[in-house]
Amino acid sequence: MALHAEVDPGRTGSPPAIRAEGLVKTFGTLRAVDDLSFDLAPGRIYGLLGPNGSGKTTLIRLLTGLTIPTAGWAEVLGTRMPSRSNLRRIGYMTQTDGVYAALTVVENLRFFGAVYGVEGDEPVEHALGIVDLADRRSSIVGTLSGGQRRRLSLACALVHRPPVLFLDEPTVGVDPLLRVQFWAHFRALSDAGTTIVVSSHVMDEADRCDELLFVRSGTIIARGTGQEIRVQAGTADLEQAFLRLGGNVEVTR
Amino acid sequence: MSRHRIVALFRRVVLEIRRDRPSLALLFIAPIVITGLVTFILRESQAPQVTAIVVNLAGPPGQPVGIALAAALRTDGATVSDMADEAAARASIGDKAASVGIVIRTGTASASSLDITVITNGLDPSGDVSQVSAVQRSVLAAATAASGTPIPVVKHATVYGTPTDDPVTTFAPAIVAFFAYFFVYILTGVSFLRERTGGTLERLMATPVTRGEVVLGYTLGFGLFATIQVAVLMLWALGSLHVGALGPLPAFSIGLGIAANGSPILAFLVVVLLAVGAVSLGIFLSTFARTELQVIQFIPIVLAPQFLLSGVLFPVSSLPSILQPLVAMMPLNYAVDGLRQVFIRGADLGVPALQLDLAVLGVVAAFFATIAALTIRRDVV
Repeated sequence: MALHAEVDPGRTGSPPAIRAEGLVKTFGTLRAVDDLSFDLAPGRIYGLLGPNGSGKTTLIRLLTGLTIPTAGWAEVLGTRMPSRSNLRRIGYMTQTDGVYAALTVVENLRFFGAVYGVEGDEPVEHALGIVDLADRRSSIVGTLSGGQRRRLSLACALVHRPPVLFLDEPTVGVDPLLRVQFWAHFRALSDAGTTIVVSSHVMDEADRCDELLFVRSGTIIARGTGQEIRVQAGTADLEQAFLRLGGNVEVTR
Repeated sequence: MSRHRIVALFRRVVLEIRRDRPSLALLFIAPIVITGLVTFILRESQAPQVTAIVVNLAGPPGQPVGIALAAALRTDGATVSDMADEAAARASIGDKAASVGIVIRTGTASASSLDITVITNGLDPSGDVSQVSAVQRSVLAAATAASGTPIPVVKHATVYGTPTDDPVTTFAPAIVAFFAYFFVYILTGVSFLRERTGGTLERLMATPVTRGEVVLGYTLGFGLFATIQVAVLMLWALGSLHVGALGPLPAFSIGLGIAANGSPILAFLVVVLLAVGAVSLGIFLSTFARTELQVIQFIPIVLAPQFLLSGVLFPVSSLPSILQPLVAMMPLNYAVDGLRQVFIRGADLGVPALQLDLAVLGVVAAFFATIAALTIRRDVV
């Protein structure tokens, strides 16, 4: 089943930050991403929601150009992916922390800043400030708590101030207080014009997004604001909505 | 290629190794301890003690021979006793009360000839060889004494270097090359595996970094430590700093004091090319490993054949001909040969053999760097 999500017209009037057209990625017989087409408007937070193995990470890797589509194409800020030079404008927080344990907080940020071509201390300080790690700047990452490492991981994705940000399950293993802080950061970034795509399998995060894309077996089974989806599914509970909108159907091939 | 990004990668790799104390110890202390120990063993090995039993079963014709042999052995510092019975002699050697038995019999060729059987314990083959050669020396000495004419003395000269009985001279270049290869491979392999499994490579690939820059950054980072390691190891191997007695402290010397003829800079070049190949090999093989233990498990496949087939332990010329094509494929072989060309022969860049070694090492390094870069695909999780 391939649901072509509606183009989101006129909400901002500007060209989409992210576009996908007929995007397919297969691994052997598995269609991890199955004919997806969508436009995502700039400056909004999009929630990519679905169970583990539904194709969220593969979709993000296709959009960042980390993997080549089997068919179709993806564009970020008007540039066809994969594009190495376009990666300067993209931030990517991986599911694993993806930071160097032997280095200090500041050394990690300086390193990622340098590979993004960002010079000087100001961007590093800015990123440190956003995630509130300035007091642990000289700590070796291996000595940090899991939550602090997660914050550093986010900072490393922000150090070059990208207009587009992909966050792959950023709040996994993060305590409720830090989760609230994370979402406050995301909102602040979005208010400043950053387009954010957040993947999650936690439905209670969904309402913090401007718009949701429900993903199941590599396809988008529903798209809209939390309220729109509730109305569409006829339930007040997003988890129920997900199940009613086809999330409970095992797609057989 | 961006110089900026390569420098960033290089600095990061250097920082990581500097923080990793056990790896630093592995790089610098382990080779010094091992080469020191091996040198000490090779140089200070004790001459085996010979305790001989002479058994004359040939009657009167055997007597003067037995006496002459015993005299020659005693001159060599051996303890010699006589026994009438071979079985008793065997029992004594079996108990390690004696180290060697010399049984003189009537010859099988003719009644007037004599046969000598040398009996050893048999549990320690290399120790037995030294016992047999001690007896052979004494046979030669006895024959010289009996004939009255001195037997010519065999002297040894070499085209390259000077003949030396210091076994460490040929061993040192091999061990320097091997350590550089071994440690650089292990450290790069493990470090790059962490990069793959820890998610940092995934993140790195989502930056404008190219895979060529990654390989180059790693090569420069680990190349720096390999260079320092080789410098330290060469100072240790070639140096001989004599420290005079001071108060209660006896005189001693630092360094193995191995004689070398060629330029250390050329030796450097050889080892650095080898190490660059080892960095790329580590990156390449980390593709096939899932855990750090598996990187270690590649050692028997990757390093052990090189150790056996590159003249580190066994001379390349003594290896079976069926193995020679494999020998020709071992990068370490060219480094060991190159270092020997430099150290022993005193070769400069004009020597074709050294040119070949450098060329092969360069090609191998470039080849592995290319396939290492190919394993860093954006398309791989």
